[in-house]
Amino acid sequence: MLGKGVVGGGGGTKAPKPSFVSYVRPEEIHTNEKEVTEKEVTLHLLPGEQLLCEASTVLKYVQEDSCQHGVYGRLVCTDFKIAFLGDDESALDNDETQFKNKVIGENDITLHCVDQIYGVFDEKKKTLFGQLKKYPEKLIIHCKDLRVFQFCLRYTKEEEVKRIVSGIIHHTQAPKLLKRLFLFSYATAAQNNTVTDPKNHTVMFDTLKDWCWELERTKGNMKYKAVSVNEGYKVCESSAKLKDAVFAHCYVLSITRWLASKRSSINRRQKEKPHLYLEGDLCQFGLPAYFVVPTPLPEENVQRFQGHGIPIWCWSCHNGSALLKMSALPKEQDDGILQIQKSFLDGIYKTIHRPPYEIVKTEDLSSNFLSLQEIQTAYSKFKQLFLIDNSTEFWDTDIKWFSLLESSSWLDIIRRCLKKAIEITECMEAQNMNVLLLEENASDLCCLISSLVQLMMDPHCRTRIGFQSLIQKEWVMGGHCFLDRCNHLRQNDKEEVPVFLLFLDCVWQLVHQHPPAFEFTETYLTVLSDSLYIPIFSTFFFNSPHQKDTNMGREGQDTQSKPLNLLTVWDWSVQFEPKAQTLLKNPLYVEKPKLDKGQRKGMRFKHQRQLSLPLTQSKSSPKRGFFREETDHLIKNLLGKRISKLINSSDELQDNFREFYDSWHSKSTDYHGLLLPHIEGPEIKVWAQRYLRWIPEAQILGGGQVATLSKLLEMMEEVQSLQEKIDERHHSQQAPQAEAPCLLRNSARLSSLFPFALLQRHSSKPVLPTSGWKALGDEDDLAKREDEFVDLGDV
Amino acid sequence: MWWGGRGQSFNIAPQKEEPEMGSVQENRMPEPRSRQPSSCLASRCLPGEQILAWAPGVRKGLEPELSGTLICTNFRVTFQPCGWQWNQTLVHGYTVLYLLTSVSGLSRVQLLRPGSLHKFIPEEILIHGRDFRLLRVGFEAGGLEPQAFQVTMAIVQARAQSNQAQQYSGITLSKAGQGSGSRKPPIPLMETAEDWETERKKQAARGWRVSTVNERFDVATSLPRYFWVPNRILDSEVRRAFGHFHQGRGPRLSWHHPGGSDLLRCGGFYTASDPNKEDIRAVELMLQAGHSDVVLVDTMDELPSLADVQLAHLRLRALCLPDSSVAEDKWLSALEGTRWLDYVRACLRKASDISVLVTSRVRSVILQERGDRDLNGLLSSLVQLLSAPEARTLFGFQSLVQREWVAAGHPFLTRLGGTGASEEAPVFLLFLDCVWQLLQQFPADFEFSEFFLLALHDSVRVPDTLTFLRNTPWERGKQSGQLNSYTQVYTPGYSQPPAGNSFNLQLSVWDWDLRYSNAQILQFQNPGYDPEHCPDSWLPRPQPSFMVPGPPSSVWLFSRGALTPLNQLCPWRQSPCQQSPSLLAVSSRWLPRPAISSESLADQEWGLPSHWGACPLPPGLLLPGYLGPQIRLWRRCYLRGRPEVQMGLSAPTISGLQDELSHLQELLRKWTPRISPEDHSKKRDPHTILNPTEIAGILKGRAEGDLG
Repeated sequence: MLGKGVVGGGGGTKAPKPSFVSYVRPEEIHTNEKEVTEKEVTLHLLPGEQLLCEASTVLKYVQEDSCQHGVYGRLVCTDFKIAFLGDDESALDNDETQFKNKVIGENDITLHCVDQIYGVFDEKKKTLFGQLKKYPEKLIIHCKDLRVFQFCLRYTKEEEVKRIVSGIIHHTQAPKLLKRLFLFSYATAAQNNTVTDPKNHTVMFDTLKDWCWELERTKGNMKYKAVSVNEGYKVCESSAKLKDAVFAHCYVLSITRWLASKRSSINRRQKEKPHLYLEGDLCQFGLPAYFVVPTPLPEENVQRFQGHGIPIWCWSCHNGSALLKMSALPKEQDDGILQIQKSFLDGIYKTIHRPPYEIVKTEDLSSNFLSLQEIQTAYSKFKQLFLIDNSTEFWDTDIKWFSLLESSSWLDIIRRCLKKAIEITECMEAQNMNVLLLEENASDLCCLISSLVQLMMDPHCRTRIGFQSLIQKEWVMGGHCFLDRCNHLRQNDKEEVPVFLLFLDCVWQLVHQHPPAFEFTETYLTVLSDSLYIPIFSTFFFNSPHQKDTNMGREGQDTQSKPLNLLTVWDWSVQFEPKAQTLLKNPLYVEKPKLDKGQRKGMRFKHQRQLSLPLTQSKSSPKRGFFREETDHLIKNLLGKRISKLINSSDELQDNFREFYDSWHSKSTDYHGLLLPHIEGPEIKVWAQRYLRWIPEAQILGGGQVATLSKLLEMMEEVQSLQEKIDERHHSQQAPQAEAPCLLRNSARLSSLFPFALLQRHSSKPVLPTSGWKALGDEDDLAKREDEFVDLGDV
Repeated sequence: MWWGGRGQSFNIAPQKEEPEMGSVQENRMPEPRSRQPSSCLASRCLPGEQILAWAPGVRKGLEPELSGTLICTNFRVTFQPCGWQWNQTLVHGYTVLYLLTSVSGLSRVQLLRPGSLHKFIPEEILIHGRDFRLLRVGFEAGGLEPQAFQVTMAIVQARAQSNQAQQYSGITLSKAGQGSGSRKPPIPLMETAEDWETERKKQAARGWRVSTVNERFDVATSLPRYFWVPNRILDSEVRRAFGHFHQGRGPRLSWHHPGGSDLLRCGGFYTASDPNKEDIRAVELMLQAGHSDVVLVDTMDELPSLADVQLAHLRLRALCLPDSSVAEDKWLSALEGTRWLDYVRACLRKASDISVLVTSRVRSVILQERGDRDLNGLLSSLVQLLSAPEARTLFGFQSLVQREWVAAGHPFLTRLGGTGASEEAPVFLLFLDCVWQLLQQFPADFEFSEFFLLALHDSVRVPDTLTFLRNTPWERGKQSGQLNSYTQVYTPGYSQPPAGNSFNLQLSVWDWDLRYSNAQILQFQNPGYDPEHCPDSWLPRPQPSFMVPGPPSSVWLFSRGALTPLNQLCPWRQSPCQQSPSLLAVSSRWLPRPAISSESLADQEWGLPSHWGACPLPPGLLLPGYLGPQIRLWRRCYLRGRPEVQMGLSAPTISGLQDELSHLQELLRKWTPRISPEDHSKKRDPHTILNPTEIAGILKGRAEGDLG
């Protein structure tokens, strides 16, 4: 199954079996048709959503046990989603529908969620793209959230088939302009009825105040300052212009003078026509409007290379060491420019090296860590393990599950990310060093690693609000190119790299290993990963904050109307009812107990002592030489002469890492302190909830994590009600009111796929085309057996 | 016996250990150390146990480090922390048996073999258990004391010479001090007719009775003294029929489903016999047991052979060693290469298929395995766990193991390597792994916890009861002497023990308080146990043709997830040219083909209503997942020896929550002494995790403290 779809599909080595051809007989079609006409399901449209094309009497295959059957209905395509309107929703259990997404229904696929479209022509599967000459009898849609839809078009009118197939292909695969995103039409149409949730305390980091608050929270405000030099994106804009200028003129010696004049001219032009220029994607390195730099850093420096080569603060540890990131300077050939860059970096480096700053260790993430290419390849292999067209295929691969999994090396990539994050944590926590993350644009692996480090070191990031603020700070404001990485605009497939998904998977490993440390659940992470593809939230649909802000205004009428009010994904009430939201919250999470005064004092004392340590030690520090080396290294790296051999591969650091890691794991875990994941072979696991949730064979009725969870919720509820009762007795008040039933209460047995699987198996058991662990006979044998033997799973 | 070929290198930095050792010694100096601990330890020994050598040391690798004594006896190697009670030592102090992989010598790690070394200074000794445990003891004074050398050599020698059979055969369990008078065993040992009768009534198996035909073990020594046979079969017929089965293990009832179907188990047909007509009739009657159609399951089909199991277990053990050389990114394929999880999966799949047959389709199933002592037990126990909610309670599970494994004659001693390597195969451990998978998949359906399974896993080699140290019920009975209390025994060379001891000798592995403290036994309970409430009125539809002699009975063979009709049950009736002497000799591909097309067969012959497929599953039936991603590695068991082992066996927060809940209930109860009918706490379902007395015990101090 691996490699399927790479060369236009074909279903692996064997010729695909006609596994779905003959299950529906003509008689059934007629009976079903009647039902459809009786119970017409209406299409629910969001504000601003437009119906583009539709086709009726489409048969959707429903996989149930090992057999498939079909449901009739209408297939429609709007400018937001592809939806199938059938009547099988009536079969659903009440409990399961409680976790319903209010925006995306069970049979809805947002256009951005479509991954691949295949057509089946004469039982041959082919990838569909561009203009079609011949229309398929069956449409298979692979979604990015790993659902697989199969629609049979055999009973649909030819006209409609043409319209719907080409419509779907066009709207999901043709390149799009940013302004044509559904986001904007939705925001325009829903302008009046969007209500921002007052209880949503997620820090958005779009004001100076937010950054100051974060500085204060982490006690980083002694050495770092928030700057507003990029307010109105002056730096960014100059970057765009400057780039052309540098290439065009190359007036190396007069570069500063030129810059100054250019800046003033830009300012002037901006005053005149604020909306004239800059489509967002011109701004490659998207600095946010406000950010934090080391205090002594002169603000001009920020503008010098448009934010490149500037150490930008991410987070400060309680012992004073900080995590910084820096985007590399553009690679240049010209010696003169190189010279300038070198002296510039020297200057920067001197500032951040001098006390009170700790020793800086540089981690170059773009040269000897993961490459984006690796991530892309691994994920595309990995996801094929779960995109399953029919059961037979699934059982074929199941035997080799572990080796297939390993050969995708997705889990290994997760391990490497976690390991890197632990290494950095060790530097900051144990060695009291500053760590400077270096990457080309500081917007991919930088985001990943710095978020992971903060998640491990800062318990605040493990609350829901804290986690959301973290994503806001490191990813959204950090300028992660969501548009390109998710390929929302379908402009360049090569840029599509699931970096954010990789991050979520790493977080899942942490959540899975230390569930009580997190306020959110794995369901939360799964739902968050799905939200990447819902284009009504602005969070994941821009490449940079700059791009977002420049596109917020309405075209033409800039004077009167207020800017568009875009929804943020953190407003979960848009997607889920409050009841369903209980599943996003970990019932086992206990908030950090408030420290009493004595402890706090001790903490502060310790904190100060640690602060003063590097001041006194730095001159005589034995690591001085090490540091020198690092400086040179840093500069060499920044100038584009990559050195493959890195300091951190030395044995000494490996030992440090090992010792740190082992000693942490040999102690009992403080869920409100430092948290490290296990990264040994057996400990990195598959995020089963996300990847297996649509596979009916993977369902365990009445089992799985949900069983424990429902018990827990029940107990929590009881504890709460008891506490209330006791309080009431205390105040001798009247009898308490009956509790509102919780989501999982009184429900029948749920399945392990809850809350996602809406497919329920009714009959007893799929009797499998068994291929056991023993080497089975040849294929002839298999075929014979299928013919001869009585199938127990008769339905 | 396995030597752990990978054990040569360990991640030890002995230099760093030394200062710690010094400090330990300082701390321990004031304590009066008796040079001769034998006197004080002797009373804690098992009967027949002799202390060969001992040395003071510090247990490492786990927090906190404990100082104590490393003792090597002729039965075991044990580490006894200072000031601990003996019974705690047994648990916590690693009753490791003959398990030596390496000893660190002069700041380098060496694998010790007998005779390989004569002069060395042991700083630290690492002992890898066959049960995946790791004991790491650092000796005092850097191993310079002669005792350290002595104990090391003693362990090496014991490891080399040990033959469990010899060791255990020496045990005469005369634990005079343990039992106080006549005590009832915590779990029915299925050694008396009353036990069998009680159990039969519990299962409401009306068509069955307890047969006493094997009371003197003259039908088969590997069979229990009593078992269940169909009502209408006379004991003489039983005797006659059983003679035609391998080792005399004829068909017996394992479990009766309330819907009317039965689960039977039997050995392979004894091919050399030449049964006459009546014999064949008796055999058929016993197999059919009044059902019009029965399904024969070849247990060996699709399941691993004993050798496979053994090999997989060895590989798994090698993989799980702390210093296993497998790279992290190759771990998964290495795990796959052991095939252990594949075997677990195969067992689960087969058990799940059979339990659907028995419960949902209400067909009687006969499990047939040549020896009837290994996989039959595994499958029949798994099927019961899947289908019968009673078997998932703590009591139910223990009696299940006692009945289907211990009493049914699973050769524990041989399979666990006690009598030599040839027939070693940890089938029982495979079973425990399967149960653990179920526990993982259905966390709310089992009353026992992972900790209990671990305890059982570790008890398998502890030589303090006979449960797992004998091959047959006959040997067990002979040893414990309880045969005398019922009947005369014609065992030559058997000497009668004092009559007063016969009760105390009934100690079994289920007497957990022998080895575990009360707090630990409390952890056997699964705090998340919340079984589905089955309506009592529910019964699956009885087989329509049950007990009706109408159509000629049909026999089916279940193989590879599909049914094929068989012409006959027994291999002997037809002319000798039908060269299939035993079913087991026939590959399933040879089997006769169905005469009619398969679909109609399914509907007509089975009498299944057409809507049957849409019916909900019978409540209480668990259908395990056995996909690749769903079968997991039992990390807490197999990876215990690795440094990253997780501390704490059950999630602390769940039990913490439980505590808080009961604490609050207690408070409420105290404050509202009279208003009990409305009292919320009384409305708790009966499956409260801890029983009230225990809760009271735990909370007493706390609640009072809060109130005061």
